[in-house]
This record gives sequence, structure tokens and C-alpha cells, in this order.
Amino acid sequence: MTSASPEPTPTGPYGVGVGWRPEIAGFVAGLPGLRFVEVVAETVNPAGPLPDGLAELCERGVTVVPHGVKLSLGGAEPVDPARLAHLAGVAAAVNAPLVSEHIAFVRAGGLEAGHLLPLPRSREAVAAVVANVRRAQAELPVPLALEPIAALFDWPDDELDEADFLTEILDATGALLLLDLANVHANARNRGGDPRALLDRLPLDRVAYVHVAGGAEQGNFYHDTHTDPVPVEVLDLVGELCVRRRPPALLLERDGHYPPAAELRGELDALAAASGYPVVT
Amino acid sequence: MTVLAAPGDTWGIPGPVFLRWYLLAAAVLVVGTLVHRFRALAGTPVDGGAAQLGPQQAAYLNGGDQLAVWTALGGLRHAGVVTVTPDRRLTTAGSLPAGVTPLDQAIFNAAARGVHSRELRHDEWVTRALEQLRDGLQQRGLALGPDQRNALRRGPMLIAALLALGVIRAFVGLSNGRPAGFLLLSLVPLFIAFLLLARVPRRTRAADRALHELRNRHTWLRPSAAPAYATYGPSAAAMGVALFGTATIWAMDPGFADQAEIQRQALGASGAGSAGSSSSCSSGSSCGGGSSCGGGGGCGGGGCGG
Repeated sequence: MTSASPEPTPTGPYGVGVGWRPEIAGFVAGLPGLRFVEVVAETVNPAGPLPDGLAELCERGVTVVPHGVKLSLGGAEPVDPARLAHLAGVAAAVNAPLVSEHIAFVRAGGLEAGHLLPLPRSREAVAAVVANVRRAQAELPVPLALEPIAALFDWPDDELDEADFLTEILDATGALLLLDLANVHANARNRGGDPRALLDRLPLDRVAYVHVAGGAEQGNFYHDTHTDPVPVEVLDLVGELCVRRRPPALLLERDGHYPPAAELRGELDALAAASGYPVVT
Repeated sequence: MTVLAAPGDTWGIPGPVFLRWYLLAAAVLVVGTLVHRFRALAGTPVDGGAAQLGPQQAAYLNGGDQLAVWTALGGLRHAGVVTVTPDRRLTTAGSLPAGVTPLDQAIFNAAARGVHSRELRHDEWVTRALEQLRDGLQQRGLALGPDQRNALRRGPMLIAALLALGVIRAFVGLSNGRPAGFLLLSLVPLFIAFLLLARVPRRTRAADRALHELRNRHTWLRPSAAPAYATYGPSAAAMGVALFGTATIWAMDPGFADQAEIQRQALGASGAGSAGSSSSCSSGSSCGGGSSCGGGGGCGGGGCGG
């Protein structure tokens, strides 16, 4: 599955979506125009029944994309076959057109970081990620989209810049790109650099969908919290991206401090307005 | 064969004759009670489906007066118009929003007078509002009124009388050295039937179905899903209390529930975080389960980053 088609089966993510979480399942179920959600793969048991609400969305024909957070594709050791089998099982259970994971490591030497940690942008790291992505692709029933993460710092031994690093991994594996615009903003804000210039250099034709999330300025850093409103700078980046090449889908991620429904609807509407996709609320 | 009364027969009736008539009477009573009960409990399906029922109506059907009170209180608390003082009395903050029910008004008024949460149900206005709520549900064929419930108790009362007769006869017979084994044996199932039939429900089968449908429709309100009550609004929060008990108030606002001394209770949810699954993620930041943050602690300072 190294040659991922740009239009995956059954129906790829389309339009404005939202991260499905049990806490807001009732809100998500009440979005009339919704065609696409993402579910954290580790919260679904592929052998058991799907969580209430998620099953109904599947029945409604809403595309469900499992989003892994613990595969540790960026780890020096090979990906854990059990975790890979779990992700593949979830993909089958929700009839997903693709799955996504991060270019990051969450454990090393048997220690769990409990966090997505950035890789040094070195040739060695590229090789390690490519090897793991290929292992994953061999086991997954559907294409894999890779999401670069936000980090507060650069490793001292970086050999490549972000765009080259990503392009090399995507070219070597044929994987799709899950572009997180909040991370693009965070990285530019915290590590310096022009987010627009990065957009110019990324392989935008490989974007499966886009993540948009909120964050907060704190202590001279921008934190990608997923618990705050989406800042205007990130919405501007949505516009910038769509001018260059509109992604097939955009997904709002919210992981806590859930605001009143009207506020969430407002963020979804803002995404629709910025991207020109139909409103889902 | 004719069985003649012998001098030793209790009350002058031979045991087999008494037993025959006794069993016949028992069968008639039990079957009659069952038929009456089956008809009386049918009820009327909800016009337009269960979605037509409001939280307080659902609460009354699910748990009677007390649950209806907790449901209204939960909704008012979510709306921010009821709060609790350090000496555990309710009080009000702000004014009632538009479109509230008579029960909301009654509870708001009681709260303004500083009553304790457990006294709410016996407050005069609240009692009247509850009667109004029940009357409405009774007219719609969902709840049973006092008259209907009394009528349903008539059968079990007659069975109890029959049981008493049987017990007396067996006692008299045994003390005179007469056998009473079969009579005692037949008392056992009759007693079980009495116990089962003496429990008169407060709602009809139509209401059972409506509640079932509501629970299926609102699985996302189960306290075990840690619902984002801020997103859902007061009416949904109230429905959570109505369907899943005061565990909802504890999950939504543990500080208030504790201070107002609201009894914890989890209803209608097998496996749904039993009594008081107060959220372990109440801070909302960097909580593990279900987030796309990689389930990490807040250390590292990167926020989610994913």
C-alpha cells in the first residue's frame, strides 16, 4: 500500500469535520451537515461494540477516521505489532477510508513519555520513520496519513528543515499528509519562521485532511492546548492554505474545556467560511 | 364420591373440599388481578414519540417526585440561577430564564427562601407543581394517579385476605392435629403472587417504552461518558438527571452536589459509572482519556502538539 491514491475508498474525509469525543457525542450527533469525524483510535475497542453515538454516525454514512496517538512511528525501535493490529482493527470496525498517526515518538527504551515528542530532523530520523511507516502500511487495510507535531524547540542536530523532512518521509513512503495548521502556527510562533513560507514548500497535493485546534499564549510561548478557542492567526492560515490548494477536509480538534454548543458551532462555521466548504451546523 | 363432614374437620369443612375451593378462589383472584393489571397498565403511547417528553416528565416517570425535583434543580443549577450557601441552604442568583416550568418556578421560590435541598419535595408550592406534573402525565396515559393505583391494590388486598384465611385454617387445623400440608404448600405460591402484585408501578407500559427510547436517544448523557455539560445546556443536563439519576449532578457540579447534600444515585445505566462518577478530568486540561493529546500529563509544556 505504498501508492496511496489521492481519493481513497470508500469516501475520503470531506468538508468540515470535528473530532468525535464521548464528552461531546450528543453535540456531534446533532450536526445535520456533518460528513466527517475523527476518533482517537486508542479509545475504540475493535472487538467490542463501537461507542454509543459513533455507531450511529457510521450508520448515517459519516466518514470516521481513526487517529492514533500511541503508535510511536518516530521511535528508534520497530512499531509495536499489537498497537498496529489495534489500529488496523479500528479502521476495519469503523469502515475507515484511511487512518492517521503522528510523526513523533511517545516511548523510548521502554519508557512511556505520555506525550508526543518531536524527532530531530536528521537523515537518521527520516530512515527510522520511513521504516516504521512501511511496517505500518504493510499491516493497515487502508492508507495512512502522517501528522507532523508541534514542538517548542529544535534539536541541535537538525540537518533538514521541516518541509524537506516531511517531503522526504512522504516521498519515501507514499503516505498522505495530515497537516495541523495549529501546529504550523505554533512552530512558527515558538521556533521562528514564516508559516506561509512553509505552506509554500509542503506537498499540498498529499494532504488528506487538515487539523485545526485552539491554543493559548502563555509565558512567551504559544501552547497547542486543544482546550482553548481557535485563534484568528490559525483561521488566517486556513485561508492561506485554501488559496494555495484547498484540502479535501478540515477537522476541528477539541479535547477539553468544552464550551457551550453555540461557541463550538461558531468555530465550525468559521472553518466553513474560511475554507468555502458547506456549513455543517 | 361424597366427602362427609367428620366431627374432627376444622370449621366442619373437610380438608380436600376446603382446599379445592381455596385453590379455585386463589386462581380466580390471581388471574383477575393480572388481567386488570395488564389492562390498567397499558397506557397510551406518547403522541409524537418520546422526544415530546420534557426532562421533568421523564424524571417523574423514571423516579417519581424526588427525581423530578432533582431534575428541575439540576437544570436550574446548570442555568446558574440556583446556588448553595456555606450552611448548606439553597439560594438563588439572578432571575429565572424564560420558558421555565411550574416546578422550576416552585423550586426557584423555595430556594429563594433558603430551604435545604431535601426539604424541597415537601415544600407547599413544589408539592402543588408536582401534582400538576403528575396530573398531566396521568391524562396522557403515562403515569398512574392515586385512584388508579388504589384500584390496582384491590386485587392484592383480596389475595392477602385469602392468605390470612388459609393461614388461620392451617393454624387451627394443625393445633387440632389435622393435616394441613397441602394447604401450607399452596400458601407459598399465593404469597409470592401477593408480593409481586402488591408492587404497583407509578407508570404505564407506554411510559416504560418512552423511557427506554429516551435512554437510547441520550446515551451520550450517561455520566460514564463524562458529558460536556457546558456544551449541552441546562435542558440536556436536566435530562441527564432524569434518565441517569443524581450522579449527573455530581458529575456536572460536584461542589454544589456536595454542599447541597444531594444524595448520589445512578439510574438506568448498567456499567455507567455508578454512584457519583465525578469526573476525574474536571480541570479539563491535559486529561488523558479520549483526547488526541497522546494522553500525557501536562509536563513538557508543549500542550497537545498533535
